[in-house]
Amino acid sequence: MTELLNMVIIDGLSFALPLFIMAIGGIYSEKSGITNLALEGFQGVGAFAGAFAAVFLAQYTAGPMPCYFSFLFAMIGGGVFALLHALLCIRFRANQVISGVVMNILAVAMTTFLTKRINAAVFGNAGNKFMLGTIARFTVPGLSDIPVLGAIFTNVYPFEGFILVVAAVMSCVLYCTPFGLRLRACGDNPHAADAAGVDVNRVRTVAVVISGCLSGIAGMSFAYSISANFSADIFLGYGYLSIAALIFGNWTILPAFWACLLFGFAHSGGMALILRLGLPSSYNDLVRILPYVLTLVLLIFFSRHNRSPRALGEPYEKGKR
Amino acid sequence: MSEQDFIVEMRGITRRFPGITACDGVSIQIRKGEIYAILGENGAGKSTLMSMLFGMIEPDEGEIYIRGKRERIDSPRRATQLSIGMVHQHFCLVSNYTVAENIILGMEPKKKWGFFPMVDIAGANAEVAALSERYGLKVNPEDVIEDLSVATQQRVEILKMLYREAEILIFDEPTAVLTPQEILAFLNIVRGLRDQGKTVILITHKLEEIKQVADRCAILRRGKLITVMDVSSSSTSDMARMMVGREVSFTTPKAPHDFGPAVLRLENLTVGNAVGCNAVNSVSFEVRAGEVLGIAGVSGNGQNELADSIMGLRKSQSGKIFLNGRDITGLSVRERVEAGIAYIPEDRHNVGLVLDFTLRDNLMLRQYYQAKFTHRHFMDEAAFEKYGEELIRRYDIRSNQGGATIVRSMSGGNQQKAIIARELDLKTPLVVFMQPTRGLDAGAVSNIHRRIIEERDRGAAVLLISLDLDEIMDCSDTVAVIFGGRISRIAPAASLTVDEIGLYMMGVRGGEVA
Amino acid sequence: MKFLRSLFFGDRFRMLRASFWALLFSLAAGALILFLMGKNPVSAYANLLQGAGLLPKLKYAGRQNQLTDFLSFLDAMTPMVFASLSVATALRAGFFNIAVPGQMLAAGFCAHIVMAALGDALPSPLAKILVLVIGIAVGAALSACMGWLKYRFNVNEVVTSIMLNSIVMYLVTFYINTFYVNPITRQSRPISDAARLTLSGVRWNGLKADFALAFPLAILAAFLLRTFLERTTYGFEIRALGLSRGAARYSGISLGQTTLLTMAISGALGGLAGVAYFCGCFASIQPGTMPGMGFDAIAVALLGGGQPLGCVFASFLITIISEGSVYMSSRLSVEPEIASLITSVILIFSACSASFGGRRGGHD
Repeated sequence: MTELLNMVIIDGLSFALPLFIMAIGGIYSEKSGITNLALEGFQGVGAFAGAFAAVFLAQYTAGPMPCYFSFLFAMIGGGVFALLHALLCIRFRANQVISGVVMNILAVAMTTFLTKRINAAVFGNAGNKFMLGTIARFTVPGLSDIPVLGAIFTNVYPFEGFILVVAAVMSCVLYCTPFGLRLRACGDNPHAADAAGVDVNRVRTVAVVISGCLSGIAGMSFAYSISANFSADIFLGYGYLSIAALIFGNWTILPAFWACLLFGFAHSGGMALILRLGLPSSYNDLVRILPYVLTLVLLIFFSRHNRSPRALGEPYEKGKR
Repeated sequence: MSEQDFIVEMRGITRRFPGITACDGVSIQIRKGEIYAILGENGAGKSTLMSMLFGMIEPDEGEIYIRGKRERIDSPRRATQLSIGMVHQHFCLVSNYTVAENIILGMEPKKKWGFFPMVDIAGANAEVAALSERYGLKVNPEDVIEDLSVATQQRVEILKMLYREAEILIFDEPTAVLTPQEILAFLNIVRGLRDQGKTVILITHKLEEIKQVADRCAILRRGKLITVMDVSSSSTSDMARMMVGREVSFTTPKAPHDFGPAVLRLENLTVGNAVGCNAVNSVSFEVRAGEVLGIAGVSGNGQNELADSIMGLRKSQSGKIFLNGRDITGLSVRERVEAGIAYIPEDRHNVGLVLDFTLRDNLMLRQYYQAKFTHRHFMDEAAFEKYGEELIRRYDIRSNQGGATIVRSMSGGNQQKAIIARELDLKTPLVVFMQPTRGLDAGAVSNIHRRIIEERDRGAAVLLISLDLDEIMDCSDTVAVIFGGRISRIAPAASLTVDEIGLYMMGVRGGEVA
Repeated sequence: MKFLRSLFFGDRFRMLRASFWALLFSLAAGALILFLMGKNPVSAYANLLQGAGLLPKLKYAGRQNQLTDFLSFLDAMTPMVFASLSVATALRAGFFNIAVPGQMLAAGFCAHIVMAALGDALPSPLAKILVLVIGIAVGAALSACMGWLKYRFNVNEVVTSIMLNSIVMYLVTFYINTFYVNPITRQSRPISDAARLTLSGVRWNGLKADFALAFPLAILAAFLLRTFLERTTYGFEIRALGLSRGAARYSGISLGQTTLLTMAISGALGGLAGVAYFCGCFASIQPGTMPGMGFDAIAVALLGGGQPLGCVFASFLITIISEGSVYMSSRLSVEPEIASLITSVILIFSACSASFGGRRGGHD
């Protein structure tokens, strides 16, 4: 029984934390006034860039270097791809919902195409995936011996710690720095921000790029844990789950964290249940529904009282109100 | 007087918008330390002119000199660098931020936390408190904007400029939403600012205020500068004539007559707002046939909720609404229209019209489904067209392509005419006007006032809700004052003075509920 | 002259012009990609048309010619027309129906299950009609639920759509893998020929062709939808709601009813797309995937300017790319994924088409 509980906590955290960092990315974008359904695409492209870097570097060096660099490149890849969303929404004033959906379609098409091409051209094989394997986990000695809660420090992926650090820094940036103050103002009243000398469109562009970078971390984490490779299977809709999490969280970081944990434990709890009942693996699909159903039910209860950023989804034009 | 004494000089400024020249070769010169008024009707181009000085839009032609130096002001940021500040008609404040956060936005005091730049919010609060002390502008730096009254928000806007060390302060229609008493206080603030050496530019169409505070006054008409007058040596009627271009009478002629039976009767009506508080609190009154009941009040005291609940756009929490003795509290919007309510809403663009529909379709919004126009759910285009053309002719709605014009491309006055045509042609026993003249020029305003009186003389009950006290006094037979969601005074218009109404609007008086 | 002017500058053809530029830019972008890969864009695009049966190929396999290619093309185009009409309907009322993939899958799946349960009890025409009815009913019901959640609880329809897609996908995958799998193909068991909406492999004049029986229905649906939206009071209400929620409420239109009606129609069309796809073009369902067509349909609807007939035209174009890509990739030996790449470039350009058409005039 304890083992089962440990498994729920360990797997739940490794699922929830990437969702969380992606949700923070979404909060950045939406708090600045840009609707962001493209998180799904950002994380996929980020994972693609990171996985490519890792496989490429692995030809020359062994050890942990490829892994470190993969996260760096995942952030860069996600950020650059996000720039396209920013361009569509801000420069071309495309509808932000549609732009988001289109970005996701493009992400799938582009990464599958490029993966095949790169595999053929660079690595000389015909595969449609980059093989990564999972990263080695570690256990914190001492802390992991605490009953029940010790599981938090057991079999931890290194990226979980990284995500928590980044999340802390990003919360601080959003709520305590001048940049954060300006960013949140752009999402509530861009005219006020403009009148106060803030370059609204630049702040929004930066916010969207940040959301791309953070999503890249999430995508790379998924690639190194759940799927152990990069392929089109990375697009499983987790980006959308993190959007749901940030909506529950009412566009604030800490409540979004609880929502992500809820999804994580629903996911891992269901898996553990299947395992315990000894059901065949096809029942896993039934369990995968859990976070989505949970989202739907919770949305029904929470949507009434939610207050999205007031200028969300509205392109900003100078001199027009 | 030498060139250098002008702190602001605009030469030959022209700015065109599609279909209209908002400013046409305007040249003005403003001295340091004076209160300079820019007078003109709505649409005369005064806001456009000042938006160019503040860098919101750029002129197509012309030059701007600040302190004798030619400048290109391409953004508010640049304007701020030149120490120009502006308070817009609609305040530019972030609603969920505190007073201090709004004031420091864009110029935050920082403290380092390691290498991390953090906003020094405690320092900001202290600085704002000191600033408000110095200029006598009372605010609490930690209050959240959305909880504050309009007058307080205005003070925040002024502090925002002062925090940025603005020397040239532009106010766009600063008194439009204030009570008479608040206006007096505001004018005192303006005088105080001048005495501290600031240059103040007031955009307004209210002659009284100019007469009270301004040193000089530029008069604009249809984008052209008519003249610049010394305020102390000219009379208000001179200024009015210059502004409108003809003799104006300030009152709408209205024949006295008797009222009929009550058409609209509210009984202890209570309505909640979006946040869940009671915006309208146990309100009771009646409007009789042939009576114009004007509801005066400062913006945000429950006027919107009251009008919406009468129309059925917002559910009331308790109380009853009667129309000609029939209880309509539970009816839907459409049922109320059919029962006999016409409603001219405040928000032309988002409520009154479907901006991307044609004029013809907009004129049909109330009646498209009726047997006259529709057979078995198929719309009769010919009938639409015929009815539309008739309304366009009768109400003199001007547009470039007649009934097929997309309403978005029409001028504000004609958009409002379209709404009024559609609603008044229903010939309902009750007509509700909500801020019917907001943002319209004087010609359109007097036209609408005439329509209001016509409705009354036809025998309809008219409910006129307006923030413009002059409008209320001009058109109403009876005046009710709303404050904090309650009717604090209701009396025949002739028995009330503007000052008295002002006191009720601010809630200073109001024990005796009628 | 006047017509020409309105064609290039007027408001009336704004959408048409926008779509035209979007298409032109993306074809140019596609050509650039092909060129960078060292292929000849002109012959690549000609190959697309050949693959779609619009130009003759150099040689054909037995029992095949340009006509059979074209018939297969129509078969593939049918669900796309339905799907884009579904998106366009919702778009006119101001909603984003991103749940088309879910609706397609659910409708196709239910039709499969019901027809399997009935076995050979129904004669062929009746079975086909029943498949259509199931498609309409399931799609409409699912979508109306979303409309209800939107109206009653203010749940954002985009998020519900996405959740619904995933839920339907996993449920169907679970059911097929657990109870209904064809052990050889790893797909669902195929639907009977009697119930299938496409007459597959019909021998005719020495040819072997596929006839999409639902194709005329799709075209008819487009015309009906146009009349419905432009000429009836319901359409008037839907359009008013889409352009201005506030004004619609003010003019006494019942928001709840109109929302439900719109979503139900949109869902019904999505369901029809589902049965045309899973019980027409294909005879079985592949577990674990969502029909990507449902997402592409969003952009197709945009490219079609949200107009029913525009959707037919846009579906035609997009299907050329998706159908012709197999032939093109085999001729030029490029990855077939290039097709979805070009499609997504078209989507991007049509997403920002608002800035191609020139902005509306007007002020105030």
